[in-house]
Amino acid sequence: MRKFVSVILLGFIAAGFFFALSDIPFGDDRMGVAKYYIENGIAQTGAVNIVTSVVVNYRALDTLGEVTVLFVASLGLGALLYPGNRGVDEEKQRASLIVRTGARILFPLILLFGAYIFVHGHLTPGGGFQGGAVIASAFLLQYLAHRHYQLDRRQFSLVESGSGAAFVLVGLLGLAVGGYFLNNFIGKGVPYSLFSAGVIPILYVAIGLKVGAELAGIVAGLMESRSG
Amino acid sequence: MEALYSNMYYVGAGALILVGLYIILVKSNLIKVIIGIHLLDTGVNVLLVAVGYIKGGTAPIFTRTSLAPTQFVDPIPQALVLTAIVIGVGVLALALSIVVKLYENYGTLDVRKIKGLKW
Amino acid sequence: MVAPLLIAIPFLAAFAVPLFSLISKRISYYIPALALFANLVISLVLIPRVMSETIVVSIGGFPPPFCINLVVGPVGLLLAIIISLIGLLVSIYGVNYIKEGPKDKYHMLLLALLAGATGMVLTGDIFNLFVFFEILSLASYALTAYNRDRAGTEAAIKYLIQGSIGSAFILIGIAFLYGMFGTLSMADIASKVGGADPGFLFVSLALLITGFGIEAAIFPLNAWLPDAHSSAPSSVSAILSGIAIETGAYAVARILYTVFDSDGIMLLIAVVGLITLLIGEMSAFRQREDIKRLLAYSSIGQMGLILFAFGIATRAGVFAALFQLLNHMLAKSLLFLAVGYMIYRVGSKKLSAFSGLGKRMPVSSFVATIAVFSLVGLPPFAGFMSKFSVVRAALALKDPMFLWFVVLMLIATVIEAGYFFRIIQNLFFKSGNSLEEVKEAPLSCLVPISVLAALILIIGVYPQLVSGILDAAAQGLVERTAYIQYVLGVP
Repeated sequence: MRKFVSVILLGFIAAGFFFALSDIPFGDDRMGVAKYYIENGIAQTGAVNIVTSVVVNYRALDTLGEVTVLFVASLGLGALLYPGNRGVDEEKQRASLIVRTGARILFPLILLFGAYIFVHGHLTPGGGFQGGAVIASAFLLQYLAHRHYQLDRRQFSLVESGSGAAFVLVGLLGLAVGGYFLNNFIGKGVPYSLFSAGVIPILYVAIGLKVGAELAGIVAGLMESRSG
Repeated sequence: MEALYSNMYYVGAGALILVGLYIILVKSNLIKVIIGIHLLDTGVNVLLVAVGYIKGGTAPIFTRTSLAPTQFVDPIPQALVLTAIVIGVGVLALALSIVVKLYENYGTLDVRKIKGLKW
Repeated sequence: MVAPLLIAIPFLAAFAVPLFSLISKRISYYIPALALFANLVISLVLIPRVMSETIVVSIGGFPPPFCINLVVGPVGLLLAIIISLIGLLVSIYGVNYIKEGPKDKYHMLLLALLAGATGMVLTGDIFNLFVFFEILSLASYALTAYNRDRAGTEAAIKYLIQGSIGSAFILIGIAFLYGMFGTLSMADIASKVGGADPGFLFVSLALLITGFGIEAAIFPLNAWLPDAHSSAPSSVSAILSGIAIETGAYAVARILYTVFDSDGIMLLIAVVGLITLLIGEMSAFRQREDIKRLLAYSSIGQMGLILFAFGIATRAGVFAALFQLLNHMLAKSLLFLAVGYMIYRVGSKKLSAFSGLGKRMPVSSFVATIAVFSLVGLPPFAGFMSKFSVVRAALALKDPMFLWFVVLMLIATVIEAGYFFRIIQNLFFKSGNSLEEVKEAPLSCLVPISVLAALILIIGVYPQLVSGILDAAAQGLVERTAYIQYVLGVP
């Protein structure tokens, strides 16, 4: 019965999609505000990666909201799995020598790669969120390879809050100096170079650290809670 | 058939959305429902990016061999999808932690058996 | 210059709480109250400016619509004031009410929820509305499950599943709107809506209304509400019933009135609102086992009434809807806060356990009675004026169908009076059994609920205090062209 009603409902939704999408032909150029962003992106923000200038400069409030969503998710997970630390599961099988050694070698390299991604966010594809996810994967690797690995949750929580507060403080500085919240008030510099695009690399470093610490904290919370 | 092929991304996005909705509405195992939520979010993200595609365009990043601005795809849906993916990850993490606690409390993951709250 | 602080301060405080808890955990519990107090002061200070002209703040310094802009108009500011006021009172209440669990995380989640709600009512960009809505929703899911007991986690996962479907629908609607119009600013979309295909607009509108309607408790999308609002800790229930669903209703109203120029669908909205009202009140009447579930069904009913008033697509109707919204926010949060300590002292949620509680907890019972009278619509409380405005706006249409609607609405009010008076009778006129150890609630509860009760009384006696800003708010919602002009600068 439930399946039948669901299929009927989904049929209606599919019909609605079909009618709506037939008015938006695939591949047509319907850019509205995007044209403004592409044409004035480098001049107004200094970043050659237009997606970065949209994310961190033109629509920076969305990014603040997104960072807060991840913060809320991490908080909620911490609050629900409280108290988190149930001790080590001695029956867990020890990973092989190759995995352990490889994890030890790869750990700093992955961290370096993640940092490279978010530092170069305004020049190449990538940015704070992508870099942060890579950094968190380094910590996940450590959890998979070593049985007794545990993160220092307090330090990570401090990094997370500190970089989040730094994001809003930079925005408030923009309000004080430039007159608008999240204004890009530092000089734009020369395009294509590392130290360009004003406030954007600073914001992306903050976001990268925050997301890395947050996702690592989520991974730690789930790995360390043994249920049952 | 030609129309299906040329609108492949729309069809794919729509299929992901409908399959995700079906799983959420019909399946009774909570982990499957969470996978359904993830499929639904993925489908919506593909739809967002597909809406921004422009024929013959490439990634909106100026490189030293600078491209003319008319050859870019729309950068805004890419920014929107960045946000949407992160939000999806947040929802998923929270859902899994609630399910862990639910399993501790009830001992089962079957939605039909978790009916402690009566009418 | 000052307006962006309304958003920046709650976010900064939410991020900074762990840094403060390094110094002392106790201090960190008061940070949300400080931030909300600052927000309240700033929003009160902005009232005179906003009454004369709507402030449009550009985030980042670029001209609208090439940036995200905040539209601090009478509607937004009014809702921001109430959100920060109720948030402040609930956060003070929560310092003592929440006794176990990771308390600093509770306060951070509460502050994040309120930051999301404030952002939602002030923004002028539809994707930004979605992002702040997600902050609100995620914080609600986490706070519902805060007690980690059987009821809380079950309610939270059901809320999460239905809420995720809603957010997906909203995002699909936004994708369609962006694909057609190429912009995300609400004013820009509003100015371009006239030339589009009506079928396309209907699909997008339906998706958006369904998505936000899940949070706004529209029938039949409100299956999650009785579970979530009754299983959460009482301070969280107060925020959910008093702020979260109202913000969802604001989003629905904003999309209906400002973004889309939809006249034909208003009758449908009014009918759906009426159905929600009747079903909510009838379900509440049948509750005898769980007082919080009764209050949750009553919330569904009240949201139906508000939706019905929004469906009377005139300025008087929107005035009445906003007035009813204001009253519900004050009264329902008061009820949940008072009932929270009653349940805690008595040890049970059953209605029968509250017999004779009026003698043992006199202040809480008296204040709860004020809230009940206001919700039912008795003079001289605020609820009387708001229900009267709804009836007056409906009758002003001179449409016989709306006459029947008013009759149905009055029937629902009678049902509401029935179950609420049964509670009052229980509190004061029945004798209690084994209530010897029950003491009155502590000051951290009595002060917030007394403030709310005083406000209900004051607004009831002097409705002129709020009718000015409510009228400006109604004007702001109904007049699309003025909104477009404020934001984009060209008529």
